[in-house]
Amino acid sequence: MNDLIRLEITRALRNRKFLFFSVIYPSALFLLIAGSADSTTKVGDTGLSLPTFFMVSMASFGALTAVLLGNSERIAKERESGWVRQLRLTPLPGRGYVLAKTAGAAVSSLPSIMIVFLVAAAVKDVRLDAWQWLALTGAIWVGSLVFAALGVAIGYLATGDAVRPITMIFYFGLSMLGGLWMPATTFPQWLQDIAKWLPTHAYAALGRSIELGDAPQAKDVAILAVSFVLFAGGAAWLYRKDTLKA
Amino acid sequence: METTPVVAFDQVTKSYGEVRAVDGLSLTLRPGETVALLGPNGAGKSTTLDLLLGLKQPDSGTVRVLGRSPRDAIVGGHVGAMLQSGGLMDEVTVRELVSLVCALHPRPFPVGEVLSRAGITELADRKVNKLSGGQEQRVRFALATAGDSALIVLDEPTTGMDVTARQAFWATMREQADQGRTVLFATHYLEEADAIADRVLVLHRGRLLADGTAAEIKAKAGARRISFDMETVIEEAVLRALPFLTALDVSGQTVRIQSSDADATVNAVYALGLYPRNLEVAGLGLEQAFVTLTAAAEEARTS
Repeated sequence: MNDLIRLEITRALRNRKFLFFSVIYPSALFLLIAGSADSTTKVGDTGLSLPTFFMVSMASFGALTAVLLGNSERIAKERESGWVRQLRLTPLPGRGYVLAKTAGAAVSSLPSIMIVFLVAAAVKDVRLDAWQWLALTGAIWVGSLVFAALGVAIGYLATGDAVRPITMIFYFGLSMLGGLWMPATTFPQWLQDIAKWLPTHAYAALGRSIELGDAPQAKDVAILAVSFVLFAGGAAWLYRKDTLKA
Repeated sequence: METTPVVAFDQVTKSYGEVRAVDGLSLTLRPGETVALLGPNGAGKSTTLDLLLGLKQPDSGTVRVLGRSPRDAIVGGHVGAMLQSGGLMDEVTVRELVSLVCALHPRPFPVGEVLSRAGITELADRKVNKLSGGQEQRVRFALATAGDSALIVLDEPTTGMDVTARQAFWATMREQADQGRTVLFATHYLEEADAIADRVLVLHRGRLLADGTAAEIKAKAGARRISFDMETVIEEAVLRALPFLTALDVSGQTVRIQSSDADATVNAVYALGLYPRNLEVAGLGLEQAFVTLTAAAEEARTS
């Protein structure tokens, strides 16, 4: 199984288009949004400056891009091409394929998180304690597993042509409504009431509480945990259904 | 001595909605056999292979490979397979892909050996998504022979290959069989089945229509074709009474007969006191035998 994981990682790193979207794009978006902001303006009542606030947003967005798009589209395409079938003619255990895919996606999500941090620190003078940088990286990286599971579920739900639009609906919906592109506090009240239950909202909130030096909110951790169970359970169920049908 | 069969289907049935793709199929493959699976489109060949490889579960009946479930046989590395519907991983080189499948096999052959046996050593550094159809087939073959497996299953293996590649392919396949492996292949090139298989299975509507050597199958269908011209018109009933006759076609003065024993039939023609002219006796190819068999089965079904 390690051999497949290694090859999936090589493949992920070789795909320039995908690397651009997951690694370069979030940093570019960060500069676009936070580039002209000065470092003293606070975002609403969050207590964070605009660059600090958006650094977490964009790092989370980059990780989301890498794992969600990486998993869903590739799994759907490889189910269609028959590669998934061919792999089932080898002694590889069934879950090995999904694990390798997720590992490949996770390897490209780590640089996307770190490059956003690097750009924010170098260009916008974001300063945090060493433990905060480490905790942020860890929380955003591990948290992205929630969306990796969602990507697997979509990959087994949709086929070939349908997978891109379905992924995009989840991708943009979760990014926008979860407040990764603009603070959710700018939304009308009714939308804010929805947004605060989204896993992406909890995901970014996790990072922000680390930036403030606070312990993460139990509610956010709970939302992420429940989402993970739902997405991973759905993915496992769809995977088994697909295996029986083959 | 009774050995464990390599493949054992026992009363296997598989339906898709109303359609019975495989209908009470029982068959046994013994070690070292090279077996061709023939059948018109929709005969149930693909479903049979899917059941054999554990990609589909039978509705009833049992499928055993080397005495265990198909999935367990695959996990144990006892089965190497190439399917038409089996895709390849793209964005990697041929060597990376072959190395991966070798690494997954519990008793792998060296990668270089697998590449050269499949005739793709020169393609090793090529990206998989840049291959032609015939080259892809050879990569699939490499994946099916990445390790020491007792059973090799090939679905339409030479599709997309030119004549030279096809010959090279079968030469390699024979080596595999000579090393004691059991080879099962589905094909629609009947001359391949005729030349390579030591046993031919004819599948029709999910049932086994014939099972034997190519020669036996031909004999079953009426192995020889006899034709001659008559100077006088003879009653068909007289001709129909000829021994070993399996099919008769009279058009004007020309008589065409299929016979399972051409010598006896021709002797009987002379014995009737007839003087056939332009007498020709020709062997029936497996292809004609196959068409005759399936057409007869179809007739029996509808009448």
